[in-house]
Amino acid sequence: MNETIVEARNLIKHYKDLNALENVNLTLSANRIYGLLGRNGAGKTTLMSILTAQAFATSGEALVFGASAYENDAVLSRICFIRESQKYPDDFQPQHAFRSAALFYKNWDQDFADRLAEDFQLPVKRRIKKLSRGQLSAVGVIIGLASRAELTFFDEPYLGLDAVARQLFYDRLVEDYAEHPRTIILSSHLIDEVANLLEHVVVIDRGRIIMDADAEEIRGSAVTVSGSAEKVDGFLAGRRILHRETLGSLASVTVDEALGSRERAEAAELGLELAPVSLQQLVVRKTMVRPDGAGSGSIAGEFADDTLEARR
Amino acid sequence: MSRTMAVARMQLINKWTYIGWPLTILAASFLMSLAIFALIPVQEGKYGGGSQAPMWYFLVLGIQSMTLVFPFSQGLSISRKAFYLGTLGLFSLIALGMTGLYLLGGVIEGATNGWGVYGYFFKIPWVTDGPWYSTAAFFFMVMMFMFIIGFWFATIFKRWGTTGTLISTLGTGLVLIGLAALSTLFQWWGVVGTWFAQQTPLSISGWAALLCVVLAAGSYATLRKATP
Repeated sequence: MNETIVEARNLIKHYKDLNALENVNLTLSANRIYGLLGRNGAGKTTLMSILTAQAFATSGEALVFGASAYENDAVLSRICFIRESQKYPDDFQPQHAFRSAALFYKNWDQDFADRLAEDFQLPVKRRIKKLSRGQLSAVGVIIGLASRAELTFFDEPYLGLDAVARQLFYDRLVEDYAEHPRTIILSSHLIDEVANLLEHVVVIDRGRIIMDADAEEIRGSAVTVSGSAEKVDGFLAGRRILHRETLGSLASVTVDEALGSRERAEAAELGLELAPVSLQQLVVRKTMVRPDGAGSGSIAGEFADDTLEARR
Repeated sequence: MSRTMAVARMQLINKWTYIGWPLTILAASFLMSLAIFALIPVQEGKYGGGSQAPMWYFLVLGIQSMTLVFPFSQGLSISRKAFYLGTLGLFSLIALGMTGLYLLGGVIEGATNGWGVYGYFFKIPWVTDGPWYSTAAFFFMVMMFMFIIGFWFATIFKRWGTTGTLISTLGTGLVLIGLAALSTLFQWWGVVGTWFAQQTPLSISGWAALLCVVLAAGSYATLRKATP
């Protein structure tokens, strides 16, 4: 197993009227691509901010490379975290931001940054505050990629980027990661788009980690069974149901369990249809399930008809 | 240490912010003052307040360092300490350079009889009356003061938001009003007046330096816990 480079122990972050993180425990190891998934406001940015010492936890411990990052140059110099709402000095152009990054990251690759700027068609000599949302995202993406920091966070890096630019980002990320392995944490709510990149998935919902597993493990960990409602319900009796949809006498039910080959055969005999559940579907369903009793009296059920914003 | 230096260098990547704009503002203000001096047909010393123009820019610079450069520095994983020392260090150098420019301007002004039109831009009654080092100390401290006060208020704003800024501004105002009221009540004004009359540019610089140190220390304490 790879060495551990991030360790969060009982992290709690309370704002005045919001519990942003509720006892988060997390261990990340070196040289993998992590997906930090969850709805807007789930606590993704808060968690990343605390890990990088840009913000402070109410209690708990966050260790990066074995130590707290706070005012710790030895740790900080190995981290890059450009936030989604990153601010830049007033007079800065993208080229200035890149030259700044070059001063602080020993692995900074200026050629790579130049190529990326060309790929993203980023006007490097326009003032940053005049850039569009997509161009602003591109600046952050380029700094994140070209800095080649050992621990790199991408905070919703695709905001405002068009489909081509997003694909470009995913491609460059994978290519560069193959050549220069490092730990990448990709925070996202466009789950389907990034699903194939991820080696490990962490899902956070209302400040709690509700899923923390290898992408391989998750694929096929849930299944949707559809057919006549009676048969479906009979077949799935006693299983962990994530979601149930009915249309007339037909039902489509998602269970949070894998089915063995005998069960699959049985389903086929009953004339039931089995369909895999995409990571996005799984996250949406898991996020919408309210664990009974848990959740400190918070509004259960109120979000039932909410959908993940990613589904657009 | 090298990261502190890098913070200073980072802010010089775009030369306009710390060098171009202050010089442009100074030059524009100077030329305008000169034009006005030339238009007034008086054969004796004419004084203007145009040389203070860059000072107001420094106030803005202090605010922006905290509201924009600090969040950026956090994105590049720069420690708060390195950011603070690098930024304040860089500004001290800029203030030093500007002070040199003001002194030089004053010398030329004196030698050319007010640029040939009896106009005095760098020479300010009382401020520049003393020896050169007292003038230098005064200009330098005023510049530092403007930057630090901007930085300080922006730190308060970053840390405690609008409410905090409002409370600290109103609080400062209340304390000053309270002091004024006390002075009136206990008839201290005579003493206060005498005290001010006794001050020289050098001693005022000393007091400003003291205030700067207090504010700078306060900013640092606040910055240590500020988030971008």
